[in-house]
Amino acid sequence: MPQLDFSIFPSQFFWLAISFFTMLFIFSRFIIPKTGEMINLRKAKIDEYLEKAAALKVKVEKTLDKYNQALKKATDEANASLAETKEEMDAMIERRQAELAADLKKQIAESEAKIGAGKEKALKQLEPLAAELAQEVLHKLGFKDVKTADIAQVLQQTKED
Amino acid sequence: MSNPMEQFVVKPIIPLQIGGVDVSFTNSALFMVLAVAASTLLFAFCLRKRSLVPSIAQSVPETIYEFVHSLLKENVGVEGLKYFPFIFTMFLFVAFGNVLGLFPYAFTFTSHLTAVGSLSLIALLFNVCIGIKKKKIGWLRTFLPKGIPVALAPLIVPIEMISFLSKPFSLTVRLVANMTVGHIMLKIIAGFVAALGVLGIIPILFNCCIVCFEIFIALLQAFIYTVLSCIYLGDALHEH
Repeated sequence: MPQLDFSIFPSQFFWLAISFFTMLFIFSRFIIPKTGEMINLRKAKIDEYLEKAAALKVKVEKTLDKYNQALKKATDEANASLAETKEEMDAMIERRQAELAADLKKQIAESEAKIGAGKEKALKQLEPLAAELAQEVLHKLGFKDVKTADIAQVLQQTKED
Repeated sequence: MSNPMEQFVVKPIIPLQIGGVDVSFTNSALFMVLAVAASTLLFAFCLRKRSLVPSIAQSVPETIYEFVHSLLKENVGVEGLKYFPFIFTMFLFVAFGNVLGLFPYAFTFTSHLTAVGSLSLIALLFNVCIGIKKKKIGWLRTFLPKGIPVALAPLIVPIEMISFLSKPFSLTVRLVANMTVGHIMLKIIAGFVAALGVLGIIPILFNCCIVCFEIFIALLQAFIYTVLSCIYLGDALHEH
């Protein structure tokens, strides 16, 4: 088995050492720094962008917070204004209703007074007619001696009762 | 049918001796150099135009980079990240060695005990150096964990030493065995193609499936090798 031929060890070791250390020199001096440089640069760039994104996120959150606060303040102000207006309106409605009620009450009283006066006047006008009618009825019934003054007195008495 | 073990024979291409030691440039060494060249060229090609928004080509090295980076971070922790180049290079070296070996007529150096063993030995020495650098003399505690009575030292120390030295061995054997078995299987099944004549299409189709599976195994083994190396590195850095 050629693998077990140890007489070639010096040659194998010599050339392997030369090849390996040459490769190690080339790679550690040129290839690895070149490859690593670009990877590190990319990582740095990505980190930079991530940091920027994080900073922007914080900024956006702050702005959003401010916006929410402003919105809340405006909503509160609008609600307060709305409540104040509602209160004013309620007070005004109440006041107007009271005025209207008072006005109506006054008008009703006036109308009732007018109706009472009219009724009184009508009744006064009816009195002589009723006395005349009663005298005529009595005359027809045979009571010719009944005087107009007596009838008026009876009518007055009836009215008072 | 040709010998399926023939593909693993190491043949010298350029004979070379240093201080009487044979360090010939072999077909195995050629594929080690090819793995280095291929990985370097691929990465250089993919990274030629870099931009913040990566192209498909650019995302290939970046994905591998981030994959190994997270692997190291998960298994060793943040303090292990300074050894990232070593682990990253090791992963790519093994992965390219495994994948290049799947090409026809290619040589899989990761199927050789001596080659992978050398890499594991380098990783072991690397871990030892890091451990000593970090813990100084306290690194020797690796062989006698805290809380163990000194009376048990003659028993525990050899066990811990064997455990410590078996780590690179297990790393090596796991990778070598996987690579060897896969290649032997491919070669044996390929041997049936000519023998079966027209019906040879069956082993060809079967081999196509196995090649796909072997690509997966090649990358998986590179991943396992790297994960275990990370764990051993973590052991060297942290308290036992």
